[in-house]
Amino acid sequence: MSAPVLAAAAAPLLSPCQNARPLLPPSPLPSGPAGGESLVLPAQVAAAVWRGDQLGQPVASVWPSGFAELDAVLPGGGWPGQAVTELLSPQAGTHEWRLLGPLLRQVTAAGRPVLMVGPPRPPHPAGLRHEGLDERRLVWVQAETPAERLWATEQLLRARTGGVLLAWLPQVRAEQVRRLQVQAGGHETPVFLCRPEAALHEASAAPLRLRVGPGPDWTLQVELPKRKGPPLTQPLSLVSVPGGLRNLLTPRLQQPSRLVPSENTDAVVRPVPAGHRRRVLSH
Amino acid sequence: MRWSALCLPVTDDASSPTEPARQALAIWALQFTPRVSVLDEAVLMEVEASLRLFGGWPALRARVAAEAPALGVVQLAWAPNGLAALALARAGIEDGLSGLLPARLDPLPLEVLGALRPHRLTLAHIGCRCLGDVRALPRGGLVRRFDRALLHALDQLYGQAPEVHTWVGLPERFEQRLELMARVEQAPALMVGAQRLLLALGGWLAARQAGVTAFALRWVHDALRARAAGEGGELVVRTATPTRDTTHLARLLAEHLARVSLQAPVGELCLHALDVQPLVTASASLLPPDRAQGNVGEEGLTQVLERLSVRLGAVRVLRPVLLDDHRPEAQCRWQPATEALPRQVLPVASGPQPGFLLPQPLRLAMRGDRPLFQGELQLLLGPQRIEGGWWDRDEDAGVHRNVVRDYWVAQSAQAGVLWVFQTRLEQAPAWFLHGYFA
Repeated sequence: MSAPVLAAAAAPLLSPCQNARPLLPPSPLPSGPAGGESLVLPAQVAAAVWRGDQLGQPVASVWPSGFAELDAVLPGGGWPGQAVTELLSPQAGTHEWRLLGPLLRQVTAAGRPVLMVGPPRPPHPAGLRHEGLDERRLVWVQAETPAERLWATEQLLRARTGGVLLAWLPQVRAEQVRRLQVQAGGHETPVFLCRPEAALHEASAAPLRLRVGPGPDWTLQVELPKRKGPPLTQPLSLVSVPGGLRNLLTPRLQQPSRLVPSENTDAVVRPVPAGHRRRVLSH
Repeated sequence: MRWSALCLPVTDDASSPTEPARQALAIWALQFTPRVSVLDEAVLMEVEASLRLFGGWPALRARVAAEAPALGVVQLAWAPNGLAALALARAGIEDGLSGLLPARLDPLPLEVLGALRPHRLTLAHIGCRCLGDVRALPRGGLVRRFDRALLHALDQLYGQAPEVHTWVGLPERFEQRLELMARVEQAPALMVGAQRLLLALGGWLAARQAGVTAFALRWVHDALRARAAGEGGELVVRTATPTRDTTHLARLLAEHLARVSLQAPVGELCLHALDVQPLVTASASLLPPDRAQGNVGEEGLTQVLERLSVRLGAVRVLRPVLLDDHRPEAQCRWQPATEALPRQVLPVASGPQPGFLLPQPLRLAMRGDRPLFQGELQLLLGPQRIEGGWWDRDEDAGVHRNVVRDYWVAQSAQAGVLWVFQTRLEQAPAWFLHGYFA
């Protein structure tokens, strides 16, 4: 698209009218999709125009997600700061640390807090330490009712905490998400709202929405139904082994789905029923 | 020299404003300068030496103008000397710094100078209507006819004689009373009066270079009250770190007051600083603040957690402390976020540990000898035997927290990676779900 402009810039010896020709096409309207040639804009205008089929650049800072495949499809190449990101999943509390572990690790290593509002079940700091998190940076706000969760989330967003905010909001309306998105404009680090998968059918003000579900063999299935750019419908498989298990997996256990689940479910060792074992011991 | 006169309302000629109000105003003024004095119904302060500390003359002037009305100041004036500032304030003129002082003072009426008041009828009879008329009289005659004090005050007013002030000292302890304008029946409405006391507290703390960690707001019930209501009530507010940020203190106090219900209408408030510690604030920077430092008025993490703790309760805003134990449910203690964390850092426990731990293990249904949770579980790694807790016995409740368990890492198609265990040494061994690797 910008090739004629580049050619003109590289050949400054052409006459002015030749130089000007690519910049000023005869008809300002594009010649149509069949032509394959679209409107040629001046270079600085073209740089400022974001086309819907391209990945946009977020205006704010970007935090690498730790997964190269995910960074490649996220606008700007990472989790956006100063904006809310929605994580939609069929069950809350089944994948959060595996997806956000690398980000939270770098956040706590920088001495910034990780603020959790209303997690579905108590976090276990000993396990989070295996993910590389510094448990001294964790803050757990036990907000129960939807109003409390929203209030606490909003207060933490407005304050100058410098930390990553993780809020589990099972019941939240679109205008409340919009309000949080406005508040997040002053919050430099990423903000994640964990919502049920059913919220996918509602509109949301969050500029980035991810659908996360469990996949086979230590993978997470991630889709991006909304991002600054075309939605990613092809699910992305991210290999994410929980922190404490990384060193314990044998090559066989790397792909447990191959271990013939139909016949031998407890594939590695079949646990002996305790009653049977006691019988053995009593002999 | 930049003098400011802060006038409190006068009900009639004879009475002066209440002593507590004047004292609160003087304490508040002491944060700007040590040169504060009380004269008649006004508090005078001289701020020339403090301009740079408070961000320059326009900034200081704007701050004084913004905060003074909350302390009951009805008229404010700036002038090169204290008496002139007071005279201008009484006449309702704010700015006495631009232009020549005599030109501004000459047209003022005689009532603006306290020393002229006893003689104003006599002066009026000889045709003096304004200060300029009195100044035009011959000095020798003025001394013989009236007294030396009048001429001296006139000279001081025009800056021709030095002023002598008795500077206000700072009380050792902060305890301020405030009588409310009207009886207050709702606790949150006490904030209006408390705000005024908090401003004085902020000024007192700034002048003492200190921060408060605990203060008490007491209220006295009105005389017409039910017998059961008692004399009044008290609310103690504590902060994690010493602070003299009045906006933060006001937010905390408002959260506390929202939970109080008054037994009877309240007529009087009293604010008392309970625990004061020295506080060194950061110097102002030449460079504009960056994003990490934030804007003025934004809360930091400590402040916002304090406020959440007040609204939700301290036991619901938590930080973890790791403990040295094998049993997963005893590996962590959650303590209120406003308490300090221990310095000691424990080493990482070996073996798999989940990211979420259920408060109570969930008993799983069985199909044959295989546990079920949202479908059949695929057991991957194990067993990890955890046995211990024979020492942990609660005699009163009759609970013995001894565990004998074999932990397994399991995978479920719907719920992801789980942590389950099988009890051992029991009559009916069972499978339980204890954590999510999430």
